[in-house]
Amino acid sequence: MTALLEARGVTKSFAGFTAVADVSFRLQVGEITGLVGSNGAGKTTLLNCLYGKTPIDRGSIFLNDVDVTAMQASWRVRLGLGMVFQLTSVFNELSVLENLRLGALAKYKRARPSSDHEIGAMLKTIGLELQQYDIAANLSHGEQQWLEIGMVLLAKPQILLLDEPTSGMTKAEAAKTADLCKQLLASGAVKSIVVVEHNIDFIRRVSEKVLVMHRGSIISSGTIDEIQKDQLVRDSFLGRIK
Amino acid sequence: MLALSNPLVNRFSVAQKWATEFSQSRRRRATEFLLGAVLLLLPFASSDSFFIDRFGRYFIWAIFAISVDLMWGYGGMLTFGHAAFFGSGGYLVAIFTTRAGWFLPIPLWLALLLTLCVVAAFAYLLAELVFRGRMPLRGIEFAVITLALAYLLEQYARAGGEITGGQNGILFEDKLEIFNLDLHRGRGFYALAGISLLIIYLVSRSFVNSRSGLVTRGIRGSEDRIELLGYNVPKLKVGLFVMVSVIAGFAGSLFYLHDGIVSPSAVGVTASTQVLLWVALGGRGTLIGPIVGTITLQHLTATLSGTLLDTWLLIIGVLLIAVVMIFPSGIMGYLGKGSAK
Repeated sequence: MTALLEARGVTKSFAGFTAVADVSFRLQVGEITGLVGSNGAGKTTLLNCLYGKTPIDRGSIFLNDVDVTAMQASWRVRLGLGMVFQLTSVFNELSVLENLRLGALAKYKRARPSSDHEIGAMLKTIGLELQQYDIAANLSHGEQQWLEIGMVLLAKPQILLLDEPTSGMTKAEAAKTADLCKQLLASGAVKSIVVVEHNIDFIRRVSEKVLVMHRGSIISSGTIDEIQKDQLVRDSFLGRIK
Repeated sequence: MLALSNPLVNRFSVAQKWATEFSQSRRRRATEFLLGAVLLLLPFASSDSFFIDRFGRYFIWAIFAISVDLMWGYGGMLTFGHAAFFGSGGYLVAIFTTRAGWFLPIPLWLALLLTLCVVAAFAYLLAELVFRGRMPLRGIEFAVITLALAYLLEQYARAGGEITGGQNGILFEDKLEIFNLDLHRGRGFYALAGISLLIIYLVSRSFVNSRSGLVTRGIRGSEDRIELLGYNVPKLKVGLFVMVSVIAGFAGSLFYLHDGIVSPSAVGVTASTQVLLWVALGGRGTLIGPIVGTITLQHLTATLSGTLLDTWLLIIGVLLIAVVMIFPSGIMGYLGKGSAK
Protein backbone atom coordinates (compact mmCIF):
# COMPACT_ATOMS: atom_id res chain seq x y z
CA MET A 1 0.00 0.00 0.00
CA THR A 2 1.32 3.44 -0.94
CA ALA A 3 2.34 5.52 2.06
CA LEU A 4 1.20 9.14 2.26
CA LEU A 5 4.53 10.10 3.77
CA GLU A 6 7.60 7.95 4.01
CA ALA A 7 10.96 8.63 5.63
CA ARG A 8 13.82 6.34 4.62
CA GLY A 9 16.99 6.42 6.72
CA VAL A 10 16.68 10.13 7.50
CA THR A 11 19.83 11.37 9.24
CA LYS A 12 20.72 14.88 10.38
CA SER A 13 23.76 16.03 12.34
CA PHE A 14 24.74 19.43 13.71
CA ALA A 15 28.49 19.96 14.22
CA GLY A 16 29.13 16.30 14.98
CA PHE A 17 25.98 15.82 17.09
CA THR A 18 23.51 13.45 15.46
CA ALA A 19 20.05 14.89 16.11
CA VAL A 20 18.20 12.40 13.86
CA ALA A 21 19.81 9.01 13.22
CA ASP A 22 18.67 6.74 10.41
CA VAL A 23 14.95 7.23 11.02
CA SER A 24 12.49 5.33 8.81
CA PHE A 25 8.71 5.20 9.05
CA ARG A 26 5.60 5.19 6.86
CA LEU A 27 2.46 7.21 7.38
CA GLN A 28 -0.81 5.69 6.14
CA VAL A 29 -4.19 7.23 5.37
CA GLY A 30 -6.49 7.68 8.37
CA GLU A 31 -3.79 7.69 11.06
CA ILE A 32 -2.99 10.15 13.79
CA THR A 33 0.59 9.29 14.66
CA GLY A 34 2.04 10.50 17.95
CA LEU A 35 5.75 11.24 18.11
CA VAL A 36 6.97 11.24 21.71
CA GLY A 37 10.27 11.28 23.53
CA SER A 38 12.17 13.20 26.15
CA ASN A 39 13.61 16.68 25.52
CA GLY A 40 16.39 16.57 22.93
CA ALA A 41 15.22 13.24 21.50
CA GLY A 42 15.09 14.78 18.00
CA LYS A 43 11.32 15.00 17.50
CA THR A 44 11.17 18.62 16.37
CA THR A 45 14.29 18.23 14.23
CA LEU A 46 12.63 15.28 12.51
CA LEU A 47 9.53 17.41 11.81
CA ASN A 48 11.76 20.18 10.49
CA CYS A 49 13.41 17.65 8.15
CA LEU A 50 10.02 16.40 6.98
CA TYR A 51 8.61 19.80 6.04
CA GLY A 52 11.84 21.04 4.54
CA LYS A 53 13.16 23.63 6.96
CA THR A 54 16.21 21.52 7.77
CA PRO A 55 18.01 19.84 4.86
CA ILE A 56 18.93 16.25 5.71
CA ASP A 57 22.43 14.74 5.48
CA ARG A 58 21.36 11.23 4.42
CA GLY A 59 18.22 9.33 3.51
CA SER A 60 15.14 10.39 1.59
CA ILE A 61 11.60 11.64 2.12
CA PHE A 62 8.65 10.71 -0.10
CA LEU A 63 5.25 12.39 -0.30
CA ASN A 64 2.73 10.26 -2.18
CA ASP A 65 5.66 8.44 -3.78
CA VAL A 66 7.23 11.70 -4.95
CA ASP A 67 10.80 12.18 -3.73
CA VAL A 68 10.73 15.60 -2.00
CA THR A 69 14.12 15.30 -0.31
CA ALA A 70 15.64 18.17 -2.29
CA MET A 71 12.49 20.29 -2.47
CA GLN A 72 12.07 23.54 -0.57
CA ALA A 73 9.33 23.86 2.02
CA SER A 74 6.82 25.78 -0.12
CA TRP A 75 6.87 23.01 -2.75
CA ARG A 76 6.27 20.32 -0.12
CA VAL A 77 3.29 22.38 1.07
CA ARG A 78 1.94 22.42 -2.47
CA LEU A 79 2.27 18.65 -2.56
CA GLY A 80 0.11 18.30 0.53
CA LEU A 81 2.11 18.94 3.67
CA GLY A 82 0.80 21.33 6.35
CA MET A 83 2.88 22.44 9.32
CA VAL A 84 1.69 23.99 12.58
CA PHE A 85 4.39 25.27 14.93
CA GLN A 86 4.69 25.00 18.68
CA LEU A 87 5.13 28.78 18.88
CA THR A 88 2.23 30.02 16.81
CA SER A 89 3.11 31.93 13.67
CA VAL A 90 -0.19 33.60 12.88
CA PHE A 91 -0.10 37.10 11.37
CA ASN A 92 -0.50 39.21 14.47
CA GLU A 93 -1.31 42.50 12.73
CA LEU A 94 -4.02 40.96 10.54
CA SER A 95 -7.56 40.04 11.51
CA VAL A 96 -8.67 36.44 12.02
CA LEU A 97 -10.51 36.58 8.69
CA GLU A 98 -7.47 37.92 6.84
CA ASN A 99 -5.30 35.19 8.37
CA LEU A 100 -7.70 32.58 7.05
CA ARG A 101 -7.84 34.27 3.64
CA LEU A 102 -4.08 33.95 3.40
CA GLY A 103 -4.47 30.22 3.85
CA ALA A 104 -7.31 30.08 1.35
CA LEU A 105 -5.82 31.99 -1.60
CA ALA A 106 -4.44 30.08 -4.57
CA LYS A 107 -0.66 29.83 -4.27
CA TYR A 108 0.17 28.93 -7.83
CA LYS A 109 -1.41 28.67 -11.29
CA ARG A 110 -4.18 26.11 -11.58
CA ALA A 111 -4.44 25.77 -7.78
CA ARG A 112 -8.01 25.77 -6.49
CA PRO A 113 -8.47 28.42 -3.80
CA SER A 114 -10.77 27.79 -0.84
CA SER A 115 -14.08 29.61 -1.24
CA ASP A 116 -15.63 32.19 1.11
CA HIS A 117 -18.06 29.47 2.11
CA GLU A 118 -15.16 27.22 3.13
CA ILE A 119 -13.61 30.09 5.11
CA GLY A 120 -16.92 30.58 6.91
CA ALA A 121 -17.13 26.88 7.68
CA MET A 122 -13.56 26.91 8.97
CA LEU A 123 -14.37 29.82 11.29
CA LYS A 124 -17.09 27.64 12.80
CA THR A 125 -14.86 24.57 12.98
CA ILE A 126 -12.12 26.35 14.89
CA GLY A 127 -14.64 28.23 17.03
CA LEU A 128 -13.51 31.74 16.09
CA GLU A 129 -16.65 32.97 14.36
CA LEU A 130 -17.12 35.64 17.00
CA GLN A 131 -13.57 36.91 16.72
CA GLN A 132 -13.37 37.02 12.93
CA TYR A 133 -12.71 40.79 12.86
CA ASP A 134 -10.34 40.72 15.85
CA ILE A 135 -6.66 41.29 15.33
CA ALA A 136 -4.90 37.94 15.76
CA ALA A 137 -2.54 39.40 18.37
CA ASN A 138 -5.53 39.84 20.70
CA LEU A 139 -6.42 36.12 20.73
CA SER A 140 -5.44 33.74 23.52
CA HIS A 141 -2.63 31.27 22.87
CA GLY A 142 -5.10 28.45 22.35
CA GLU A 143 -7.17 30.50 19.92
CA GLN A 144 -4.05 31.46 17.98
CA GLN A 145 -3.14 27.78 17.76
CA TRP A 146 -6.59 26.95 16.34
CA LEU A 147 -6.35 29.90 13.96
CA GLU A 148 -3.03 28.59 12.68
CA ILE A 149 -4.52 25.13 12.22
CA GLY A 150 -7.46 26.68 10.33
CA MET A 151 -5.15 28.72 8.13
CA VAL A 152 -3.06 25.67 7.28
CA LEU A 153 -6.16 23.55 6.62
CA LEU A 154 -7.52 26.07 4.11
CA ALA A 155 -4.37 25.45 2.08
CA LYS A 156 -5.82 21.91 1.70
CA PRO A 157 -3.03 19.71 3.04
CA GLN A 158 -3.26 15.95 3.05
CA ILE A 159 -0.95 15.56 6.02
CA LEU A 160 -0.92 17.85 9.04
CA LEU A 161 2.26 18.09 11.13
CA LEU A 162 1.62 19.49 14.61
CA ASP A 163 4.55 20.44 16.83
CA GLU A 164 3.47 20.34 20.49
CA PRO A 165 0.01 21.83 19.78
CA THR A 166 -1.10 21.81 23.44
CA SER A 167 1.99 23.58 24.75
CA GLY A 168 0.80 26.55 26.82
CA MET A 169 -2.86 25.54 26.52
CA THR A 170 -5.31 25.06 29.38
CA LYS A 171 -6.74 21.57 29.93
CA ALA A 172 -10.00 22.61 28.32
CA GLU A 173 -8.18 24.05 25.29
CA ALA A 174 -6.09 20.87 24.96
CA ALA A 175 -9.27 18.77 25.06
CA LYS A 176 -10.82 20.92 22.33
CA THR A 177 -7.69 20.55 20.26
CA ALA A 178 -7.87 16.76 20.59
CA ASP A 179 -11.50 16.85 19.45
CA LEU A 180 -10.53 19.07 16.55
CA CYS A 181 -7.81 16.64 15.40
CA LYS A 182 -10.16 13.67 15.50
CA GLN A 183 -12.89 15.60 13.69
CA LEU A 184 -10.50 16.72 10.95
CA LEU A 185 -9.54 13.14 10.24
CA ALA A 186 -13.09 11.82 10.48
CA SER A 187 -14.45 14.51 8.14
CA GLY A 188 -11.71 13.88 5.59
CA ALA A 189 -10.34 17.43 5.91
CA VAL A 190 -6.92 15.81 6.16
CA LYS A 191 -5.83 12.25 5.46
CA SER A 192 -3.28 11.91 8.22
CA ILE A 193 -1.86 13.81 11.20
CA VAL A 194 1.53 13.63 12.92
CA VAL A 195 1.63 15.09 16.43
CA VAL A 196 4.81 15.78 18.38
CA GLU A 197 3.73 16.05 21.99
CA HIS A 198 4.91 15.78 25.60
CA ASN A 199 1.34 15.63 26.87
CA ILE A 200 0.78 11.85 27.07
CA ASP A 201 -2.91 12.30 27.95
CA PHE A 202 -3.36 14.18 24.70
CA ILE A 203 -1.51 11.47 22.76
CA ARG A 204 -3.63 8.79 24.40
CA ARG A 205 -6.74 10.70 23.40
CA VAL A 206 -5.87 11.18 19.71
CA SER A 207 -3.29 8.63 18.57
CA GLU A 208 -3.62 4.98 17.89
CA LYS A 209 -0.05 4.71 16.70
CA VAL A 210 2.85 6.14 18.65
CA LEU A 211 6.52 6.39 17.74
CA VAL A 212 9.04 6.86 20.54
CA MET A 213 12.28 8.69 19.85
CA HIS A 214 15.42 8.62 21.93
CA ARG A 215 18.71 10.26 20.99
CA GLY A 216 17.65 10.72 17.40
CA SER A 217 16.39 7.17 16.79
CA ILE A 218 12.97 5.55 16.88
CA ILE A 219 13.27 2.97 19.65
CA SER A 220 9.68 1.73 19.80
CA SER A 221 6.34 1.95 18.06
CA GLY A 222 2.80 0.73 18.80
CA THR A 223 -0.28 1.80 20.69
CA ILE A 224 0.13 4.03 23.73
CA ASP A 225 -0.48 1.04 26.03
CA GLU A 226 2.06 -1.09 24.20
CA ILE A 227 4.80 1.50 24.35
CA GLN A 228 4.12 2.24 28.01
CA LYS A 229 4.80 -1.41 28.76
CA ASP A 230 7.99 -1.41 26.69
CA GLN A 231 10.98 -1.64 29.06
CA LEU A 232 13.25 0.16 26.57
CA VAL A 233 10.85 3.11 26.49
CA ARG A 234 10.63 3.20 30.27
CA ASP A 235 14.39 3.14 30.56
CA SER A 236 14.75 5.92 28.00
CA PHE A 237 12.33 8.19 29.87
CA LEU A 238 14.06 7.40 33.16
CA GLY A 239 17.44 8.09 31.59
CA ARG A 240 18.64 4.51 32.04
CA ILE A 241 19.75 4.03 28.46
CA LYS A 242 22.43 6.08 26.78
CA MET B 1 -17.05 20.17 18.51
CA LEU B 2 -15.77 23.49 19.69
CA ALA B 3 -18.89 24.97 21.20
CA LEU B 4 -19.98 28.47 20.34
CA SER B 5 -22.04 30.72 22.57
CA ASN B 6 -25.54 32.19 22.16
CA PRO B 7 -26.24 32.95 18.47
CA LEU B 8 -27.95 36.23 19.39
CA VAL B 9 -24.84 37.41 21.27
CA ASN B 10 -22.73 36.24 18.32
CA ARG B 11 -24.70 38.36 15.89
CA PHE B 12 -24.51 41.40 18.16
CA SER B 13 -20.76 41.04 18.59
CA VAL B 14 -20.11 40.60 14.89
CA ALA B 15 -22.31 43.65 14.19
CA GLN B 16 -20.21 45.67 16.64
CA LYS B 17 -17.03 44.64 14.80
CA TRP B 18 -18.62 45.65 11.50
CA ALA B 19 -19.42 49.02 13.02
CA THR B 20 -15.81 49.49 14.12
CA GLU B 21 -14.53 48.55 10.67
CA PHE B 22 -17.03 50.94 9.11
CA SER B 23 -16.00 53.82 11.36
CA GLN B 24 -12.30 53.18 10.60
CA SER B 25 -13.04 53.19 6.90
CA ARG B 26 -15.05 56.43 7.30
CA ARG B 27 -12.18 58.04 9.22
CA ARG B 28 -9.77 57.14 6.41
CA ARG B 29 -12.10 58.54 3.78
CA ALA B 30 -12.57 61.71 5.83
CA THR B 31 -8.79 62.19 6.03
CA GLU B 32 -8.46 61.59 2.29
CA PHE B 33 -11.28 64.03 1.55
CA LEU B 34 -9.88 66.74 3.82
CA LEU B 35 -6.36 66.42 2.44
CA GLY B 36 -7.67 66.31 -1.13
CA ALA B 37 -9.87 69.38 -0.62
CA VAL B 38 -7.08 71.46 0.92
CA LEU B 39 -4.64 70.53 -1.82
CA LEU B 40 -7.23 71.16 -4.54
CA LEU B 41 -8.06 74.63 -3.22
CA LEU B 42 -4.46 75.61 -2.54
CA PRO B 43 -3.66 76.98 -6.03
CA PHE B 44 -6.76 79.21 -5.83
CA ALA B 45 -5.93 80.41 -2.32
CA SER B 46 -2.48 81.69 -3.22
CA SER B 47 -1.19 83.76 -6.11
CA ASP B 48 2.41 83.06 -5.14
CA SER B 49 3.68 80.90 -7.99
CA PHE B 50 6.80 79.88 -6.07
CA PHE B 51 4.64 78.67 -3.15
CA ILE B 52 2.42 76.62 -5.48
CA ASP B 53 5.44 75.22 -7.26
CA ARG B 54 6.95 74.15 -3.96
CA PHE B 55 3.86 72.08 -3.18
CA GLY B 56 4.26 70.36 -6.52
CA ARG B 57 7.70 69.27 -5.37
CA TYR B 58 6.19 67.91 -2.13
CA PHE B 59 3.76 65.83 -4.20
CA ILE B 60 6.59 64.20 -6.14
CA TRP B 61 8.45 63.48 -2.92
CA ALA B 62 5.22 62.01 -1.56
CA ILE B 63 5.13 59.57 -4.49
CA PHE B 64 8.67 58.55 -3.55
CA ALA B 65 7.52 58.14 0.08
CA ILE B 66 4.58 55.96 -1.00
CA SER B 67 6.97 53.63 -2.82
CA VAL B 68 9.03 53.29 0.37
CA ASP B 69 5.87 52.73 2.40
CA LEU B 70 4.82 49.85 0.15
CA MET B 71 8.22 48.22 0.64
CA TRP B 72 8.78 49.01 4.31
CA GLY B 73 5.36 49.67 5.77
CA TYR B 74 3.50 46.88 3.98
CA GLY B 75 6.23 44.43 2.92
CA GLY B 76 8.27 44.83 6.12
CA MET B 77 11.50 45.30 4.14
CA LEU B 78 13.40 48.32 5.38
CA THR B 79 15.37 49.93 2.58
CA PHE B 80 18.16 52.39 3.29
CA GLY B 81 18.92 53.00 -0.34
CA HIS B 82 15.71 53.68 -2.19
CA ALA B 83 17.01 56.98 -3.55
CA ALA B 84 19.17 54.80 -5.80
CA PHE B 85 16.02 54.32 -7.89
CA PHE B 86 14.60 57.83 -7.35
CA GLY B 87 17.87 59.43 -8.42
CA SER B 88 18.46 56.92 -11.21
CA GLY B 89 15.16 58.04 -12.73
CA GLY B 90 16.56 61.57 -12.95
CA TYR B 91 19.97 60.50 -14.21
CA LEU B 92 18.63 58.17 -16.89
CA VAL B 93 16.25 60.77 -18.35
CA ALA B 94 19.11 63.28 -18.31
CA ILE B 95 21.50 60.87 -20.05
CA PHE B 96 18.92 59.80 -22.64
CA THR B 97 17.98 63.38 -23.55
CA THR B 98 21.31 65.22 -23.34
CA ARG B 99 24.08 62.78 -24.27
CA ALA B 100 25.03 62.26 -27.92
CA GLY B 101 26.11 59.03 -29.60
CA TRP B 102 24.68 55.65 -30.61
CA PHE B 103 20.90 56.19 -30.46
CA LEU B 104 21.06 59.27 -28.18
CA PRO B 105 19.66 61.80 -27.64
CA ILE B 106 16.04 60.71 -27.82
CA PRO B 107 12.77 62.67 -27.33
CA LEU B 108 11.67 63.27 -23.75
CA TRP B 109 8.57 61.06 -23.82
CA LEU B 110 10.64 58.13 -25.14
CA ALA B 111 13.36 58.84 -22.57
CA LEU B 112 10.78 58.70 -19.77
CA LEU B 113 9.47 55.38 -21.04
CA LEU B 114 12.92 53.91 -21.51
CA THR B 115 13.94 55.13 -18.05
CA LEU B 116 11.12 53.18 -16.42
CA CYS B 117 12.10 50.06 -18.39
CA VAL B 118 15.77 50.37 -17.39
CA VAL B 119 14.88 50.98 -13.73
CA ALA B 120 12.57 47.94 -13.81
CA ALA B 121 15.26 45.76 -15.39
CA PHE B 122 17.91 46.93 -12.93
CA ALA B 123 15.57 46.38 -9.95
CA TYR B 124 14.64 42.95 -11.28
CA LEU B 125 18.27 41.83 -11.63
CA LEU B 126 19.14 43.13 -8.19
CA ALA B 127 16.06 41.55 -6.60
CA GLU B 128 16.80 38.20 -8.25
CA LEU B 129 20.28 38.33 -6.77
CA VAL B 130 19.15 39.47 -3.34
CA PHE B 131 15.95 37.44 -2.87
CA ARG B 132 16.56 34.38 -5.01
CA GLY B 133 20.33 34.01 -4.82
CA ARG B 134 22.16 31.20 -3.13
CA MET B 135 21.84 33.04 0.18
CA PRO B 136 18.55 35.01 0.08
CA LEU B 137 18.79 38.16 2.17
CA ARG B 138 16.20 39.51 4.53
CA GLY B 139 15.90 41.91 7.47
CA ILE B 140 18.98 43.91 8.33
CA GLU B 141 21.08 42.17 5.66
CA PHE B 142 18.70 43.47 3.00
CA ALA B 143 18.80 46.96 4.52
CA VAL B 144 22.61 46.95 4.46
CA ILE B 145 22.69 45.86 0.81
CA THR B 146 20.36 48.72 -0.17
CA LEU B 147 22.54 51.14 1.82
CA ALA B 148 25.61 49.87 -0.02
CA LEU B 149 23.80 50.28 -3.35
CA ALA B 150 22.98 53.93 -2.67
CA TYR B 151 26.55 54.59 -1.53
CA LEU B 152 27.97 52.84 -4.58
CA LEU B 153 25.75 54.72 -7.04
CA GLU B 154 26.53 58.05 -5.41
CA GLN B 155 30.26 57.35 -5.71
CA TYR B 156 29.82 56.28 -9.32
CA ALA B 157 27.81 59.41 -10.10
CA ARG B 158 30.64 61.52 -8.68
CA ALA B 159 33.29 59.67 -10.63
CA GLY B 160 31.26 58.98 -13.76
CA GLY B 161 32.93 61.61 -15.92
CA GLU B 162 31.08 62.59 -19.07
CA ILE B 163 28.29 60.08 -18.56
CA THR B 164 27.08 61.35 -15.17
CA GLY B 165 28.68 64.77 -15.24
CA GLY B 166 30.78 64.08 -12.14
CA GLN B 167 30.31 66.37 -9.12
CA ASN B 168 28.32 68.88 -11.17
CA GLY B 169 25.74 66.40 -12.38
CA ILE B 170 23.75 66.93 -15.58
CA LEU B 171 21.73 69.94 -16.65
CA PHE B 172 18.46 69.12 -18.43
CA GLU B 173 17.65 70.69 -21.76
CA ASP B 174 13.99 69.60 -21.90
CA LYS B 175 11.05 71.03 -20.03
CA LEU B 176 7.82 69.40 -18.90
CA GLU B 177 5.17 70.39 -21.42
CA ILE B 178 2.43 68.75 -23.46
CA PHE B 179 1.06 70.43 -26.65
CA ASN B 180 2.67 73.73 -25.64
CA LEU B 181 0.95 73.50 -22.25
CA ASP B 182 3.52 74.51 -19.62
CA LEU B 183 3.71 71.87 -16.90
CA HIS B 184 7.15 72.87 -15.81
CA ARG B 185 6.45 75.64 -13.30
CA GLY B 186 3.72 77.01 -11.04
CA ARG B 187 0.15 75.77 -11.44
CA GLY B 188 0.97 73.58 -14.44
CA PHE B 189 3.56 71.66 -12.50
CA TYR B 190 1.29 71.56 -9.45
CA ALA B 191 -1.44 69.93 -11.55
CA LEU B 192 0.96 67.43 -13.14
CA ALA B 193 2.44 66.45 -9.77
CA GLY B 194 -0.97 66.35 -8.09
CA ILE B 195 -2.52 64.11 -10.73
CA SER B 196 0.54 61.83 -10.67
CA LEU B 197 0.29 61.56 -6.88
CA LEU B 198 -3.44 60.84 -7.05
CA ILE B 199 -2.94 58.08 -9.61
CA ILE B 200 -0.05 56.48 -7.71
CA TYR B 201 -2.02 56.69 -4.46
CA LEU B 202 -5.11 55.05 -5.95
CA VAL B 203 -3.09 52.33 -7.67
CA SER B 204 -1.18 51.65 -4.45
CA ARG B 205 -4.37 51.52 -2.42
CA SER B 206 -5.90 49.13 -4.85
CA PHE B 207 -2.76 46.96 -4.63
CA VAL B 208 -2.80 46.98 -0.82
CA ASN B 209 -6.46 45.92 -0.80
CA SER B 210 -5.88 43.19 -3.38
CA ARG B 211 -4.91 39.57 -2.77
CA SER B 212 -1.28 40.41 -3.55
CA GLY B 213 -1.46 43.20 -1.00
CA LEU B 214 -2.74 40.83 1.65
CA VAL B 215 0.11 38.41 0.95
CA THR B 216 2.57 41.33 1.06
CA ARG B 217 1.28 42.23 4.51
CA GLY B 218 1.61 38.57 5.41
CA ILE B 219 5.28 38.66 4.42
CA ARG B 220 5.73 41.58 6.82
CA GLY B 221 4.14 39.50 9.59
CA SER B 222 5.92 36.19 9.09
CA GLU B 223 7.84 35.32 5.99
CA ASP B 224 8.32 31.72 7.14
CA ARG B 225 4.61 31.16 7.66
CA ILE B 226 3.78 32.65 4.26
CA GLU B 227 6.24 30.22 2.69
CA LEU B 228 4.71 27.35 4.66
CA LEU B 229 1.30 28.20 3.27
CA GLY B 230 2.76 27.38 -0.14
CA TYR B 231 3.51 30.88 -1.47
CA ASN B 232 6.57 31.52 -3.57
CA VAL B 233 7.96 34.25 -1.32
CA PRO B 234 11.07 35.16 -3.38
CA LYS B 235 8.92 35.64 -6.49
CA LEU B 236 6.51 37.89 -4.57
CA LYS B 237 9.35 39.94 -3.12
CA VAL B 238 10.97 40.36 -6.53
CA GLY B 239 7.64 41.61 -7.93
CA LEU B 240 7.15 44.09 -5.08
CA PHE B 241 10.72 45.37 -5.35
CA VAL B 242 10.39 45.98 -9.08
CA MET B 243 7.05 47.76 -8.60
CA VAL B 244 8.27 50.14 -5.87
CA SER B 245 11.51 50.82 -7.77
CA VAL B 246 9.59 51.82 -10.89
CA ILE B 247 7.35 54.14 -8.83
CA ALA B 248 10.46 55.74 -7.28
CA GLY B 249 12.12 56.01 -10.69
CA PHE B 250 9.02 57.69 -12.13
CA ALA B 251 8.95 60.20 -9.26
CA GLY B 252 12.68 60.87 -9.60
CA SER B 253 12.51 61.51 -13.33
CA LEU B 254 9.71 64.09 -12.87
CA PHE B 255 11.41 65.70 -9.89
CA TYR B 256 14.80 66.27 -11.49
CA LEU B 257 13.27 67.30 -14.81
CA HIS B 258 11.44 70.01 -12.91
CA ASP B 259 14.59 70.99 -10.99
CA GLY B 260 16.54 71.17 -14.25
CA ILE B 261 19.56 69.44 -12.80
CA VAL B 262 20.43 66.06 -11.30
CA SER B 263 23.54 65.64 -9.17
CA PRO B 264 25.20 62.78 -7.20
CA SER B 265 23.30 63.41 -3.95
CA ALA B 266 20.10 62.39 -5.83
CA VAL B 267 21.02 58.72 -5.67
CA GLY B 268 22.74 58.87 -2.28
CA VAL B 269 22.31 57.83 1.30
CA THR B 270 21.03 61.21 2.58
CA ALA B 271 18.05 61.23 0.22
CA SER B 272 17.42 57.58 1.09
CA THR B 273 17.24 58.20 4.83
CA GLN B 274 15.27 61.42 4.49
CA VAL B 275 12.37 59.57 2.90
CA LEU B 276 12.34 57.13 5.83
CA LEU B 277 11.72 60.09 8.15
CA TRP B 278 8.75 61.26 6.08
CA VAL B 279 7.24 57.76 6.16
CA ALA B 280 7.91 57.24 9.88
CA LEU B 281 6.48 60.65 10.74
CA GLY B 282 3.30 60.19 8.68
CA GLY B 283 2.80 56.57 9.72
CA ARG B 284 4.17 53.60 7.85
CA GLY B 285 1.78 51.04 6.48
CA THR B 286 -0.93 53.67 6.02
CA LEU B 287 -0.29 55.05 2.46
CA ILE B 288 -1.89 58.40 3.32
CA GLY B 289 0.61 58.83 6.17
CA PRO B 290 3.68 59.20 3.93
CA ILE B 291 1.87 61.99 2.02
CA VAL B 292 1.03 63.79 5.26
CA GLY B 293 4.55 63.18 6.65
CA THR B 294 6.28 64.45 3.52
CA ILE B 295 4.21 67.61 3.15
CA THR B 296 4.36 68.41 6.89
CA LEU B 297 8.08 67.91 7.31
CA GLN B 298 9.15 69.51 4.04
CA HIS B 299 6.87 72.52 4.47
CA LEU B 300 8.02 72.98 8.05
CA THR B 301 11.63 72.76 6.91
CA ALA B 302 11.07 75.29 4.12
CA THR B 303 9.23 77.71 6.41
CA LEU B 304 11.57 77.48 9.39
CA SER B 305 14.76 77.59 7.35
CA GLY B 306 13.65 80.94 5.95
CA THR B 307 12.90 82.50 9.31
CA LEU B 308 15.09 80.85 11.95
CA LEU B 309 18.38 80.79 10.11
CA ASP B 310 20.54 79.41 12.95
CA THR B 311 18.22 77.14 14.85
CA TRP B 312 15.78 75.62 12.34
CA LEU B 313 17.62 72.30 12.02
CA LEU B 314 17.73 71.92 15.79
CA ILE B 315 14.00 72.65 16.06
CA ILE B 316 13.13 70.19 13.30
CA GLY B 317 15.30 67.52 14.99
CA VAL B 318 13.71 67.99 18.41
CA LEU B 319 10.22 68.03 16.86
CA LEU B 320 10.91 64.82 14.97
CA ILE B 321 12.19 63.02 18.06
CA ALA B 322 9.20 64.25 20.09
CA VAL B 323 6.65 63.20 17.48
CA VAL B 324 8.21 59.77 16.97
CA MET B 325 8.37 59.21 20.74
CA ILE B 326 4.79 60.34 21.35
CA PHE B 327 3.34 58.70 18.22
CA PRO B 328 5.52 55.66 17.46
CA SER B 329 3.09 54.60 14.74
CA GLY B 330 3.23 58.04 13.11
CA ILE B 331 0.63 60.79 12.74
CA MET B 332 -1.86 58.73 10.75
CA GLY B 333 -1.25 55.61 12.80
CA TYR B 334 -2.21 57.63 15.87
CA LEU B 335 -5.09 59.54 14.32
CA GLY B 336 -7.23 56.50 13.91
CA LYS B 337 -5.82 53.74 11.86
CA GLY B 338 -5.97 55.80 8.74
CA SER B 339 -4.50 52.99 6.76
CA ALA B 340 -5.63 52.21 3.29
CA LYS B 341 -6.42 48.80 4.67
